[in-house]
Amino acid sequence: MKILDIIKDANVNLLRNKLRSFLTILAIFIGSFSIISTSAIQAGVNNFIDSQVDSYGGEGYLAIVAKDSFDALEGLQGAMGGNSGPMEYDPDKIQTGMSPITDEQIEKLKKVDGIDGDSIIEQKSLNITYVTSKETDKKYLFAAEALPPGNVKVDTVTGRGLDLKADEYQIVLEEKYVDALGYTNEEIVDKKIQLVVLDEYTHQEKIFDAKVVGVIAPGVVSMGQSYTNNKLADDIYEENTKYYPEEVKKNTYAVAANYDYEKYSVEEIKEKLKDIGLSAMSIEDIIGTIKSFFDVILTVFKIFGLIALLAAAIGIINTLFMSVQERTREIGLDKALGMSSAKVFLSFSIEAISLGFWGSVFGITVSMILGNIVNAAFHSEGGFLEAFPTFNLATYTISDMISVTILIMVIAFLSGTLPARRAAHKNPIDALRYE
Amino acid sequence: MSKRPLLSTRNLRKVYGKRDTRFEALKGIDLDIYEGESVAIIGKSGSGKSTLMHLLALLDKPTEGSIKLNGKNTSKLRAGKLNEIRNKEFGFVFQSFFMNSNDSVLNNVILPLKINGVGFRERRRRALEALRIVELDDKAKNKANDLSGGQKQRVCIARAIVNNPKVIFADEPTGNLDSATGERIEKLLFGLNKKKGITLIIVTHDQDLADKCDRQIHIADGKIFGENTREDVDLEDFDGDGDNDGMRDHNTTKHIDVEED
Repeated sequence: MKILDIIKDANVNLLRNKLRSFLTILAIFIGSFSIISTSAIQAGVNNFIDSQVDSYGGEGYLAIVAKDSFDALEGLQGAMGGNSGPMEYDPDKIQTGMSPITDEQIEKLKKVDGIDGDSIIEQKSLNITYVTSKETDKKYLFAAEALPPGNVKVDTVTGRGLDLKADEYQIVLEEKYVDALGYTNEEIVDKKIQLVVLDEYTHQEKIFDAKVVGVIAPGVVSMGQSYTNNKLADDIYEENTKYYPEEVKKNTYAVAANYDYEKYSVEEIKEKLKDIGLSAMSIEDIIGTIKSFFDVILTVFKIFGLIALLAAAIGIINTLFMSVQERTREIGLDKALGMSSAKVFLSFSIEAISLGFWGSVFGITVSMILGNIVNAAFHSEGGFLEAFPTFNLATYTISDMISVTILIMVIAFLSGTLPARRAAHKNPIDALRYE
Repeated sequence: MSKRPLLSTRNLRKVYGKRDTRFEALKGIDLDIYEGESVAIIGKSGSGKSTLMHLLALLDKPTEGSIKLNGKNTSKLRAGKLNEIRNKEFGFVFQSFFMNSNDSVLNNVILPLKINGVGFRERRRRALEALRIVELDDKAKNKANDLSGGQKQRVCIARAIVNNPKVIFADEPTGNLDSATGERIEKLLFGLNKKKGITLIIVTHDQDLADKCDRQIHIADGKIFGENTREDVDLEDFDGDGDNDGMRDHNTTKHIDVEED
């Protein structure tokens, strides 16, 4: 018997008892639906987090502070009733406040194997009083920082990226400000906006005309920040600290650097930095909490999906046992007319696999329809993802769809083996005598 | 009868069950069936006639003894080869039809060819040809369930001949039919036997039907106790009042009693 005939007959047999097949497929559908939906949400969240990671400097990014500062932070958490309880004071260690990173440490950092020496930049917190433009009378609070090193890949909505080394003032503006400053996303590119810094002593306003070279989608990691090129950051920092003594002005509290993430694990690099008295945080450390929160929820849903599939598998076994029982004489006839046991086994297995296939296709289709509706609803006005236009909660990938379908077909096949074996082992004479 | 038999059995035994439930269905059958013959295996129910047919049709394996097909011992053949022989060389007609009643007439006839893996066009052509022989080609698209009993049996005959078999095994082919319809089926089967030279092995308890065969093998209690060829049938002995039950069975039983005494 040809395999195509077997597949065709299997589906014809499923149609013979439409209600029973439909109910079995419905059970598989529930499992398939929850697994593919979970995968879609996971893919959506991961995509979003990845784009956020990129906007923050990419995979090799490290935020580095002096080890004392890091310990102080932990000490502070301890004092506030963290996990380890209050910490004891140790006069040999600076345990409160931020300690500066010394020039010596930076020199050592440059030489650490795996750290890209050229990528090291000081992270200066910029104090901008407000932002405004020629198109509006209003003034808005504003936060910006120099773009971290690494893949200069910001999640831009329009425009190009920053030219870090440019001699002019450049900025990639957070999308929420575009409308407020009286522009549309397209109009604002290459226009200049005014960043204003108030002199702490004279209360005079110092205006920086920054050219908008791109608009960035709001993100979780960037927290509503815009990004400047190095020249703009340096000059604003200079203005912020012009009354500080040289020694303090020179102090660096945090640097960002890139490491070779293909060759070294982040743990190896962290060990090396510890030796020179520095503590590092990778982008994963920073966003790890968000990710692990989603991971826990999604894992729970996946387990629910698998449990549903397990129940569906029992449904398949039951359906096929009934089918074998009903078709005992038919099986006997097939075998009397020369069908081999292997082909009988195959035909029932394919019936099981077909149930799995239709159940998963059904589940994926419904999930995709609902996913798109949900995505659209969340992005509409007032939806809870309105502020994150690049974040699609449900993202369906071809590989997810194929792997879910294959997983379910394998489960269906395994459930089908029991009834299929029974069918294959039927003696044609007994089967023909069966009433 | 000097030529080699098509089917030949020697000391054929079949035992079902073990110990307390042990039941000897066949107690040593020696039988030769030649190509082109029509043979009736006749006996009352429980005599072992169906068991004998199942063994001859290679649907079951004997406990002891040998079955030779064309001089070749079938006990040495693998399951796949047995399947192939049943598929290509044998045709089956059963008392209770055994059709897929929800399927079309054509698909029922196609079944052996489909199992054999014959391509779509070819198997359709051959099935229609087989249906033409049983004069049901106009019903090809009908649902098998919508046919009358006689038509169903004709479809089964079409199914049995669609693979151009050497042998047709018919188990009570007229058992479920009224006499007029039964006669038509008989005509069809014997016509195939005469015109196409298909060996016909009919299992029945119907003496009238058996009488139309070249040879009658009488079975009782798992043994052959008599054999007639058509020429030497003594109608007086078996042909009682002409109905299908009672007397004839009674006559047969009498023979068994004699044998066993």
